[in-house]
Amino acid sequence: MVSVVIGISTIILFSVFSEAQLEQKTFVSHSGQIINTSGDVLDPLYTASTVEFDPEMYLRDFNYGIISESTNGKIIREFTIIADDDKIQEISPGVFYNVWTFNGTVPGPTIRATEGDLVRINFINNGSKSHTMHFHGIHQAEMDGVFEIVGPGGGRFTYEFEAGPVGVHPYHCHVMPLEEHIVRGLYGVFIVDPKESRPPADEMVMVLNGFDTDFDTENNFYAANTIPFYYQHHPIQINTGELIRIYVVNMVEFDPINNFHLHGNLYQYYPTGTDLVPSFYTDMITLSQTERGIMEFQYTFPGKYLFHAHKVEFSEKGWVGLFLVKDNSTSSEVQYGN
Amino acid sequence: METNEKTSKIRMIASGVIPFVFVILMMAYIFGPGADLLDFGVSLPELTIEKINFEKSEIHVTVRNTGPIPVSIVMADVNDRIQPAAIEPDKFLERYETALVRIPFEWNTAEPYAIGLTTDDGTRFERIAEAAALALKPNLEFMTFFAIIGTYVGIIPVMIGLLWLPFIKKISKNKYHFFLALTAGLLLFLGLDSIEEALDVSFENLNGSFNAVLLIATTIVLSFLGLYYASEKLTGKADSLKISKPVAIGLMIAIGIGLHNFGEGLAIGAAVGLGSIAFSTFLIVGFALHNTTEGLAIAAPMSRGKLMIGKLILLGIIAGSPVIFGAWIGGFFFSPLYSVIFLSIGAGAIFQVIVIILKWIREEGDKTLSSAAVVSGFALGVLIMYLTSILI
Repeated sequence: MVSVVIGISTIILFSVFSEAQLEQKTFVSHSGQIINTSGDVLDPLYTASTVEFDPEMYLRDFNYGIISESTNGKIIREFTIIADDDKIQEISPGVFYNVWTFNGTVPGPTIRATEGDLVRINFINNGSKSHTMHFHGIHQAEMDGVFEIVGPGGGRFTYEFEAGPVGVHPYHCHVMPLEEHIVRGLYGVFIVDPKESRPPADEMVMVLNGFDTDFDTENNFYAANTIPFYYQHHPIQINTGELIRIYVVNMVEFDPINNFHLHGNLYQYYPTGTDLVPSFYTDMITLSQTERGIMEFQYTFPGKYLFHAHKVEFSEKGWVGLFLVKDNSTSSEVQYGN
Repeated sequence: METNEKTSKIRMIASGVIPFVFVILMMAYIFGPGADLLDFGVSLPELTIEKINFEKSEIHVTVRNTGPIPVSIVMADVNDRIQPAAIEPDKFLERYETALVRIPFEWNTAEPYAIGLTTDDGTRFERIAEAAALALKPNLEFMTFFAIIGTYVGIIPVMIGLLWLPFIKKISKNKYHFFLALTAGLLLFLGLDSIEEALDVSFENLNGSFNAVLLIATTIVLSFLGLYYASEKLTGKADSLKISKPVAIGLMIAIGIGLHNFGEGLAIGAAVGLGSIAFSTFLIVGFALHNTTEGLAIAAPMSRGKLMIGKLILLGIIAGSPVIFGAWIGGFFFSPLYSVIFLSIGAGAIFQVIVIILKWIREEGDKTLSSAAVVSGFALGVLIMYLTSILI
């Protein structure tokens, strides 16, 4: 009897033990220690993980619209933007949040046109609440997306205006309560290129945003392009000696400021991108709500370089990333994003 | 005749069982498949961080799912800054299931830390450790440390209280009633004190789960009834057990106080173990003064028997030493749930002792318990305890 009990318990103990052995997982602590665990790893920081939205795709994804020409020779760029507010999206590994979206993503698609083009946006509101699209820029009052509320369940509106001024601008929903309609994710980037285009570069868009997942009017997560820590475990690959141009837009709510610090380098900064001559040569800019601009820089030395909010609280909650600079002397031809 | 009896018996059993059958059928209907009509309203996740231990280069967080639905824990933070972490055995917690979250972190001694855990719906739950201190390991050093604290707080004060015995022995019956009532008053305060402590622990740690207030009430009633029954048996058989009635009553009082002191020890050990207080000498003095009165409670009934020093010391140890065991358990294996239960058992035990003492006074002559001696003694007892409690 006793031996049977011992035998059975040995089998049970052994199987538990061997199972634990098999399922050992590891992760790296801040100080570089390797930690073993028999349980689950909770690490959005360093452990490579992906969620539904892909910041890598978004980074260099520019939408020029369906192009046609008007009778007077003007370029018309036509876009279809659909608003929704019922999507539950994984906004950090394991964290699910009800985002409101333009074309299914936060941020919405990057809309790009050349100064003077006619931009036509067929806006459809498939949400359960009223929504609009309000573009920063110069346009007629009735195209401002504030008083022309577009009703839920398929409401439509066509926004039409001439692209301008040159620069990088946000667009966002402008229905009250406004803060909610913005922080839920109804925003995106609108780039107006000068008629004589800027020098070729590896171009990217970074929307600095945050999420208040527990509704206490404080952000729980911050990021460049929605997913916290994403570019830390998926470094952005660039080349030495290559011009990098970042269109950066700050959409963080609740916190009065945000900022952008680059390691091992300084950048030329064009506030709002409206001027073709840079205003600053710096490694640190401070941005208030919807403040934005264009950064240009190139790396001389290969390696890993951080970029992050120097309001370090934000970087410790996700607004941090890495450039992986590869030596360009061996690669033959520079490939640009556009 | 026999079959008749049999059928009536079966009928009786059936009539007792039938309601249960319907209860089970109702449950099956409510929880069974296709019974979605009862699923309305929104269930929110609820986590309770029960314990934060500071280990070398790691913070260990014990968390329990105290909400109505299963949750998964997806992120840990220290002072509201996201940290890589591990959760064992896994991140999915069924109702009432616990898990250990290990956060590698170079913490600093004596500094406060807010530990946060975030569930899959983005809700963050937080608990603050007021002063980080390396978690106690059940080694000889700390065993000794707690034993010494327990001796100072539990055994010595009770022994000092027992020294009132010769004094009580010499006084008149009326004054004796006064002291018995005083003891009852002291104990009433201790009982209330235990309840307050139990409520505090449950509100801070259990987040209203386990129906904490009703858990405390239920445990007190059961503890009271169990000890009351035992004490009636003991005093009833006092003669056959070759102990005098005063000794039997003294013993029940000592056991009651001992159970209470066990709860007190748990609280002391937990406080040291969790780093929520620095165990100051001032605090020890406060507890010691407070507990001196407990010795008096044992001395009062014992004064009517023969002076038996050996038995008296034994009763003192029964009453005082549980502080040590409580401190060990509280310091090394703190669990808020068990703390609440033991504090409630202690309270029930104390109330039982009060009833014994009041019965003893009635047997001694004061049938209505309304003489000036009894009433003033009772009142003074409560008042003394309140005043000494301010010191803690």
